Amino acid sequence: MLNFDWLSGVSPETAKMIFLGLYGLIGILVLMIPNEYIYEGLKKEDRHWYNNLKLWSLGVLTILASIYYQF
Amino acid sequence: MLTGIDYFIVISYIVGMLILGLYFKKFVNSSEDYFLGGKSLPFWAIGMSIVVSDIGALDFVGVSGQAYRYGVSVGNFDWVGSVPAMLLAAFIFIPYFWRGGMYTIPEYLGRRYNQKVRTIASVTWILFFALDLGVLFWASAVLLNVLMGWPIWVSIFATAGVVGLYTYFGGITAVIMTDVVQMVIMFIGGFALVFLSLYEVGGWDNMVEKISTMGPEYRSHFDIIQPSDTKSPFPWTGILFGLTFVMANAYMIGNQAIVQRCLTAKNEWHAKASMIFASALKMLIPILVLFPGLMAIVVHPGLEDGDLALPMMIKSILPPGLIGLMFAAFFAGLMSSVDSLLNSTATLFTKDIYEPFIKKGASDQHYLKVGQISTLVLLIIGVATSPISSDFPGIYVAIQTFMSYFQGPLFAILLLGIFWKRTTQWGGLSALVIGIGSAIFLNVFKQRFFTIEEPFLYISWWSFLVGFIINITVSLMTKPHTKDQLEGLVFSSKILAKNKTL
Repeated sequence: MLNFDWLSGVSPETAKMIFLGLYGLIGILVLMIPNEYIYEGLKKEDRHWYNNLKLWSLGVLTILASIYYQF
Repeated sequence: MLTGIDYFIVISYIVGMLILGLYFKKFVNSSEDYFLGGKSLPFWAIGMSIVVSDIGALDFVGVSGQAYRYGVSVGNFDWVGSVPAMLLAAFIFIPYFWRGGMYTIPEYLGRRYNQKVRTIASVTWILFFALDLGVLFWASAVLLNVLMGWPIWVSIFATAGVVGLYTYFGGITAVIMTDVVQMVIMFIGGFALVFLSLYEVGGWDNMVEKISTMGPEYRSHFDIIQPSDTKSPFPWTGILFGLTFVMANAYMIGNQAIVQRCLTAKNEWHAKASMIFASALKMLIPILVLFPGLMAIVVHPGLEDGDLALPMMIKSILPPGLIGLMFAAFFAGLMSSVDSLLNSTATLFTKDIYEPFIKKGASDQHYLKVGQISTLVLLIIGVATSPISSDFPGIYVAIQTFMSYFQGPLFAILLLGIFWKRTTQWGGLSALVIGIGSAIFLNVFKQRFFTIEEPFLYISWWSFLVGFIINITVSLMTKPHTKDQLEGLVFSSKILAKNKTL
């Protein structure tokens, strides 16, 4: 059990889908965060779209998913 | 191996770092300036500092060597083993620590659980950092000696002198701002090697084709997901459960050297942004450290020791001048690791040990001086103890293993501490002690319990689970904390609405 033998039937292809699914789930959770919280600390006049940390996070997750899809 | 231009580059780099670091002395007027940079730093500097502190000269060689042996699966540590944890840290944990005005992670544990948990966590980190310092000095100096013929004590004294001076005077601001330059140097040197190596092997596609036809042992070199029954240390089950769910989170959320940087941010947005920016940079690290190892399979096939892959590539690929730059990149890796250890250990000692146990209620200037003296004492200890490593060749791995015992239980108490208000001080304390005990037990009897060679990922997961269950069980049997005690310390969905107070 400690060696995760019970998961030995899961193929690497399925495992890859699990990882990609995880990135998708994280992306959805990030999208659910309200903008007010994302911009906390910035003045109202400084809150531009490029300061939206949701976009930054989704960008990072997209690159990460591409790497796992590629390899 | 080094030519005149190489020496010029390396010496200019070292002198430049000293001048730059000492420039930040004038910004240090209080202990908050020294430990938290006066909470004034921008996200980009902090993000770059996080990335460069996380990678040392030894990692360059070690990861390339693992890529030579196991292929791209070693990249999991910087990809899935960093990005999700850094997002969790950015959006949940860092805002709590930053808003709470905390200096250390054990300080949070002390407020959330009790002083004993804080002290155990802090002493463990201090011991780890202090031991690591001497070992890091020696191992890196030996590496530089092997690679470039640079005398061991010259490397140690040059690093200790330069880093010691700017860390002593400039505190964390000097550490972070020198890290920025160190990251740029590291990336320029690393990418130069990657591009020239790619040219040498005839491009990426050509390299993949050549490696794939080299034999059955290279068949899965380009598979990032390894089957659960692989003999390599990176089965996907270990990567998912041990690395992604536990070690990565413990490292990015519970490691003082990482989190302290975010606490220097000028506001909450910069604190969050620093971690996300660092996660983007972190994804580039495997290109620097992993790809040269892969390309060495084509250029230098059949090496018995994979750790020779990077040195061989440097010698055979880089022209004079760029070798000096690569050498400066190794120095940058060493310096950024040493300055992080010094400043973080001084912070832990001053805030978690000295202030509560040795001298309460002293002036701010007194604690500033204690922080500076701690830095100096640690540096002397690090240099003095570094030769011990030559008598105990396995000590570097032993220290890293020791730290992995701590990661699972630490993350268990951090996670439950912030997400579950019913967690009590006794739950946290027993989870930490029993969790660490279970990790040690599993490691001692690893040959009996595990089938893979180095099961540290599995040990992290199971010790996390033990800590998690113990924490819940003991907490349910003990008196809950009051609402006032939990104020500002437990996650509330209110922070996702418009309520600014935690």
